Amino acid sequence: MSLRDQIRKGSTEILILSLLAERPMYGYQISQELQRRSGGYFDMKEGLLYPTLHRMKQEGYLTSEWREVSPARRRKYYVITDKGRQVLSEQAVEWRTFIEKLLPLLAPEPGSAEDS
Amino acid sequence: MRGVEESSLTDVAAVLAHIQAQLDLDRETETEVLEEIRSHLEEAVAQARSRGVSETAALAEAAARFGLEETGAKLQQTHAGWGTAEGVLAAALPVLCALVLRWLVFAPDGTAVGWPQVLLRPAFWIVAAVALLVPLLRFRQWRYAVAIWAFFWVITVIFLIWPAQRW
Repeated sequence: MSLRDQIRKGSTEILILSLLAERPMYGYQISQELQRRSGGYFDMKEGLLYPTLHRMKQEGYLTSEWREVSPARRRKYYVITDKGRQVLSEQAVEWRTFIEKLLPLLAPEPGSAEDS
Repeated sequence: MRGVEESSLTDVAAVLAHIQAQLDLDRETETEVLEEIRSHLEEAVAQARSRGVSETAALAEAAARFGLEETGAKLQQTHAGWGTAEGVLAAALPVLCALVLRWLVFAPDGTAVGWPQVLLRPAFWIVAAVALLVPLLRFRQWRYAVAIWAFFWVITVIFLIWPAQRW
């Protein structure tokens, strides 16, 4: 698994929670929103969203409800719970801290080229 | 699972069949999971068709983007995978229940009470019921509960066959 895939895999949960914090969505819609808003960066196998969604539901971060879209068709919408919002808040803090601490380390220190 | 051949994907039902072949869930869960995936695939196909793609190509594209093999395995693991608690329950419960039964069967001085007397004791039936009901309530598939119950009886018989020990 490439580094990019690892990063995507590790951020799937917070991405889903972020979208659902705006409004309830169904699986296909979530996959399309992720792709659209990221400019194609978060372009994972769409089916892999479902095990993650189902696991998050088992853990209490989400609930789900079926909605009729036509007489013979319905969609399963996912709704974030209070616990999910709390987890989202905590994970968002972690990610921001991670990025804040990572970026300075990626930039070369002034004068380091002279030392070497 | 070997790779999915495009020629086998004639319609959404065929695609779903590939996923269903990887699932071993209770009927209700499987039905709900497949319905959700069907909705996804139908919408993906419809979107591809709206771009002028042929039905066959749209289906192949939807299936490829979906990831049939990976998704089936992950779904199975999510819905039927055992966690630590289930593992401990499956191993410890039958042993504990068998130990309790052994205590009921053998009198404190180590002599066997006798099966007719044991069968008259409500505690015997309570322990036997607990050994079955707890797994039935905990595990999604009844076959796991039955297997654990069978393991319980095997251990019980072993405990009874061994020479009686003073407690």
